[in-house]
Amino acid sequence: MDNDNYVCTGCALLCDDIDVGLENGKVAKVHTACRKGFAFMKGCSNPLECTVDGKKTDVDSAIREAAEILRNAERPLIFGHANSSSGAQKRAIGIARKINGYIDDTSSFCQGPMVEAILEGKLKTCTLDDVRHKADVIVYWGADPANSHPRHMSRYSYFPRGKERQRGWEEDRTAICIDVRKSDTAEICGESGLYQIPVKGDVEFMDALVSALSGKIPKTSYDFDKKRLLELASILKKAKFGVIFAGLGMVYALDDREPLYRLMDKLNSVSNFHLIPMAGHYNMRGFNQILFEETGYINRVKFNGAEILHGPEYSVVEALRKKAVDAALVIGADPLTSLPRSVVRHLEEIPLITIDPCQTLTSVKAKVTIPCALVGVESGGTAVRMDGVEIGLKQIVETDRLSDEEVMIRISEAL
Amino acid sequence: MGFGQFLSAPEVKLRIVTYRDIFQDSAKVTSLFGEDYEKLSAIIKLDPKDLSKLAIKEGDTLMLKNGFGKVVVKAQNSGYEKPHTGTAYMVNSPWSNVLVPEDAGGTGVPEFKDFEVLASSAKGAKVTGIREII
Repeated sequence: MDNDNYVCTGCALLCDDIDVGLENGKVAKVHTACRKGFAFMKGCSNPLECTVDGKKTDVDSAIREAAEILRNAERPLIFGHANSSSGAQKRAIGIARKINGYIDDTSSFCQGPMVEAILEGKLKTCTLDDVRHKADVIVYWGADPANSHPRHMSRYSYFPRGKERQRGWEEDRTAICIDVRKSDTAEICGESGLYQIPVKGDVEFMDALVSALSGKIPKTSYDFDKKRLLELASILKKAKFGVIFAGLGMVYALDDREPLYRLMDKLNSVSNFHLIPMAGHYNMRGFNQILFEETGYINRVKFNGAEILHGPEYSVVEALRKKAVDAALVIGADPLTSLPRSVVRHLEEIPLITIDPCQTLTSVKAKVTIPCALVGVESGGTAVRMDGVEIGLKQIVETDRLSDEEVMIRISEAL
Repeated sequence: MGFGQFLSAPEVKLRIVTYRDIFQDSAKVTSLFGEDYEKLSAIIKLDPKDLSKLAIKEGDTLMLKNGFGKVVVKAQNSGYEKPHTGTAYMVNSPWSNVLVPEDAGGTGVPEFKDFEVLASSAKGAKVTGIREII
């Protein structure tokens, strides 16, 4: 067994305490990781092959064809990036700039609004290490880490004994779940810790909490138990270091962020609260930060010479729905799995390039498929954890496949 | 079984809420095209009263459809203590994404977690395979 610790790229927790066992130059055993991380690090059972028009070819030919497609396109889209190294993300942005393309990532229909607010300084945040050492009140809002990030509660947010939380979850921490159903995380929070609200009831619940924190009687149209709301407000008020983990349940329930700002402002006038978005893919936040540094926007960008266009019309969903793009390069994502079928149909009508270690639903429809190394296993680099902390990734095993960054460099050169 | 049986089956309007499942998610990572991923994805969790309204039992197949697509999935009893008649739960997957409305109101964010379908019994029919979806 290798004594070095490695980083799991199975999700945006980027757990950095992974032991692996190697056999014949392959990862045969994975210790410490969760079920998903274990599957991820062992590699896919359907590796992607290098093809053009469904026929096997060499990488040089596939890269030439990919560059040709992008060069000939008038409105190309480069999409994905959430499961890519930061190096590949930088190259992707460079290519989009060079070809006056659209560039967007999965945050566009995921945690984008939360990451954007944090990077713009509109929401107070902290690191997962702060949570482990200091947090005494932990709110999982529309989030179910027991399923989405299985080691979240054990490594960082609830169960560990932190520097200032030596009595652990039994005495030192209170876990609260605000959700539309009794999730596995809600089971851990217990009967008194679950605040079950109706679908899309989040905004009213936020405003009711603001009322309760202001000493007023909290009201909701769905008549949520006022006594319980006042009890919750009291718990939040007494927090020494509170954190809200914002899940997609919360993100999708908000038409805009104003109700959340109102709640966070109120919480921070009476207590001390932070927010961390529950980013799913291991480097979604990395892409957001890099694009933000380069353009001032976290996603949904179109380059137009020196001009940078931004808005929902440049999002992957609207660009595909309106058939605004005439070619696409997808890297580190599988839109045919993650987006509505009716939205992604346009990808089948345009030249499509897929770069991934594994076969995906998107790669099945691609004109050009280019395999790359599995980041964190077959190639190294860096990625950014859900809390914004950059994590170094080490290569564990050798491969003859190019890294995702090398593929993007080669395409850029061929352009 | 003839097509007529589908026509005569009672239709029930359901509000679908999607969720994540670690077993289904890791099955996807292991093999997106594998049996396990289909088995853990092509399901819908219903309130027992809705199972009765649809005249089906747990394990039977259900046709779910709306203006955006249709899929056949297996029915399960949600097991939730709190009744949720009219609301059903599907794990986030290509099967649920067939039914997610295309129109995102110009926002770029479809309603992944909250949409409506019409459900009817598809007893005896096979679950929609992943390759049929794409």
